[in-house]
Amino acid sequence: MANNHLTSESKQLATWYLTFAAILFGAQLLFGLIAAIQYVMPGFLYGILDFSIARILHINALVVWMVFAMFGSVYWLLPDETGIETIGIKAGKLVYWIFVAAIVVVVLVFLLIQVGPASDTTIWFITEGREYIEAPRWADFGIVVVALTFVGNLFLTGMKGKQTGIVTVLMADMIAFAGLYLAGMFFTDNISVDQYWWWWVIHLWVEATWEVFVGAIAAYGLITMIGAHRKVVEMWLWIEVAMLFGSGILGMGHHYFWIGTPEYWWEIGALFSALEPLPLVAMFVHVLYDWGKTQGAEMNSEHTDEGHVKSVIKNKPAFTWFVLNAFGNFLGAGVWGFFHTLPQINLYTHGTQFTSAHGHLAFFGAYATILVGMMYLAVQGKNGIKVMKNTKASIWAVSMITGGVMGMTVALTIAGYVQVIVSRAQMGATWAAYFDGQGGAWFTQAMDWRLIMGVITFLGFVLLAKDLLTTGKNPVHER
Amino acid sequence: MANKSVWNDNRFWRRSATWVTGFASILLIWLTFDTSAQISMGTNEDLQNGVTKRVPGPTVINYKITYEMSAKRGHEVPVIGGNDGKGNSLFQEKEKFFGRDDWSEKEAREMLHLGKLGSQAKNCMDCHTLLGNGAYYAPDLTKAWLDPAWGPNGTMQAITNKPTKEEAMAEFLQHPELYATHARMMPNLGITKEEAIGLVAFLKHMSSIDTNGFPRNFGKMKGAINGK
Amino acid sequence: MLTVQKYYFKGIQMIDPAMIRPEIALNDFLPIFVSSALVLVFGGVYVGIYTAVKVEFLKPWAIIIAYGFWTLTAYCLYVMGSLMHVGSFTAKALVVAAIGLFILPFAVYYMEDNVHKSNEHETQGEENGK
Repeated sequence: MANNHLTSESKQLATWYLTFAAILFGAQLLFGLIAAIQYVMPGFLYGILDFSIARILHINALVVWMVFAMFGSVYWLLPDETGIETIGIKAGKLVYWIFVAAIVVVVLVFLLIQVGPASDTTIWFITEGREYIEAPRWADFGIVVVALTFVGNLFLTGMKGKQTGIVTVLMADMIAFAGLYLAGMFFTDNISVDQYWWWWVIHLWVEATWEVFVGAIAAYGLITMIGAHRKVVEMWLWIEVAMLFGSGILGMGHHYFWIGTPEYWWEIGALFSALEPLPLVAMFVHVLYDWGKTQGAEMNSEHTDEGHVKSVIKNKPAFTWFVLNAFGNFLGAGVWGFFHTLPQINLYTHGTQFTSAHGHLAFFGAYATILVGMMYLAVQGKNGIKVMKNTKASIWAVSMITGGVMGMTVALTIAGYVQVIVSRAQMGATWAAYFDGQGGAWFTQAMDWRLIMGVITFLGFVLLAKDLLTTGKNPVHER
Repeated sequence: MANKSVWNDNRFWRRSATWVTGFASILLIWLTFDTSAQISMGTNEDLQNGVTKRVPGPTVINYKITYEMSAKRGHEVPVIGGNDGKGNSLFQEKEKFFGRDDWSEKEAREMLHLGKLGSQAKNCMDCHTLLGNGAYYAPDLTKAWLDPAWGPNGTMQAITNKPTKEEAMAEFLQHPELYATHARMMPNLGITKEEAIGLVAFLKHMSSIDTNGFPRNFGKMKGAINGK
Repeated sequence: MLTVQKYYFKGIQMIDPAMIRPEIALNDFLPIFVSSALVLVFGGVYVGIYTAVKVEFLKPWAIIIAYGFWTLTAYCLYVMGSLMHVGSFTAKALVVAAIGLFILPFAVYYMEDNVHKSNEHETQGEENGK
């Protein structure tokens, strides 16, 4: 890590966050592979690392790497946006190490202790046992401290420096993001109440605050990578915030169809879910528009005297991932979300592999893509590269990961379809119905393909890691 | 400024975003108050007075629970203590749970508490789904209590050699590896007898929650022909 | 909502005739999933072509193709809604969504173009408004 081009401490810290995020991304894929193998060979690691544990690590690594990459992205863009060094960077660094240490401890407990007796001690120190937020209660408090320090850094810097639209949106969004976590930090005997608030964390994070975060990052990316017009981009960001929160907050209704909550959620859920894809489609128009306009301006400008038209893109691999984000968000969150969101059909698809298919493509398309894009932006900045080009490894990585995730999604969709038809519509969702669906030839075939596609995704990740580590020194880039 | 209008004014959109977000949040909070009241857990008194709650009190374990069509609502609903013929609960017919049908509110609440804690301490949700949420590696547990496999004609009572549904379930939970029915086996999670009883109470209670007809046609259909 | 004996099933025998049937016929599941996926695929193509025409990537006549895709979107929404037997409220929500999707690219383009033009006026020489 010699000749570092970063003068900003905030950006330095950002690279720490992004590096650890990439490591956790690898861990996520690894445990996902173990779980995928267990679908095909149920005896694999039985009694040592059961499916439940592999899956906990798979989905928690996912959430945590994304949170790390999000924090890293904010530390990265703050000096650019505000024009000053981030305030309280020492606290930021301290908290980084606390966060990393806490994660290591939690992972070790998940791996080695796994479950505990039915007591409060287990909830406090081993597992909270609630999907996505299994981290024990002590770690919850740690996360709150970490998040508050981060929000503090962001607010102090935003208020002292130049407060651009992007920074304003991030400030509002991140305080909601940190605050919502509190809704998942209590215990109740009432499973309906439990699930009601659990969705406040999961849905309002993933379908509201994270989406807005992505909007802000995409705005920053468009400005830095293709020199899009700030006023256009920022106005667009506000429209996007209005659309995303306007549809997403009450879109929560689609999780309240069957958990014991009243029937009026059917109507609310149906209406707002039907609207939820609109901002995603609009985001897509926006990227196309901005790129078309800036590229068009470049084509017409007089200093293009080299005979060929120069591309306006200053970081090809990052831009590729950003464009994939617009597509992936639309496909994963939009298409794959929409086709099982209405209550009439959700009655049959709720709790099947359809959800899993949607989850894989949506998390990848909406979040993983843009965060990997941010990693490339950091590599560019760190190595003082003016125009960063695609390498063979970067192209292979993006193709294999995207292809792999798409393949997994299609396989899981087919598996979900079998489940809906056999286990739900034909046999009425019992224990026997469940296993009849799981044993069907189409289902088992789909699970084989999911594993194959998972391996391809993982190989793609290995290439991505190699590229991120080495491309900075590659002489093909313009410096 | 030829093109200056409200539509390209940054402030207009910033305000719109704030108002839309605020309005949606307030609506959500208001609905949360309404929903919270409707899904609060009932009491023993409610059951005795025939008050239908979306989430009945823990002493519901003293009653017979079924899942039947309600003509009025157009889908199945949990029916507690007998059906009045129209899909409404009568709260009369009792059913023994581990040999008793007079569990006090305190006892029932303790069992349910232990069961709910156990469901989290053993990471149930990372293989099974509860109310349809969780992982898809093992069957949904929403109405597991009503599953015919555990009933008098089902296989599980015979395999575990227990005379009742609740005892068969408790036995299975303590030694799942001994009674596996499929290659995808539940691992031994070190569940004690007390915890197992609590978990069964938790499952019985969950089956009495009004889930707006999810899952559809539970346990009523037989004979899958396609798809295999 | 109660739909006793209204639907006909090929796949299921051994069914008590008095039993309440699912509201969605077994053979309707696939068309529902396909049509609802196509809603957004066609919708996306509509919006994409519209914008591409406007930023002059495509010739103006291609706009007709865009409207064609919107028609397909609306048709898919109709198919999906009727196969699912949605209630009157959801049906209205779907109509609103279809109209919303129709207007969306107009609105987005209008606003973007407006702001673009006005900003070219006021921020000439400034770099990215920074």
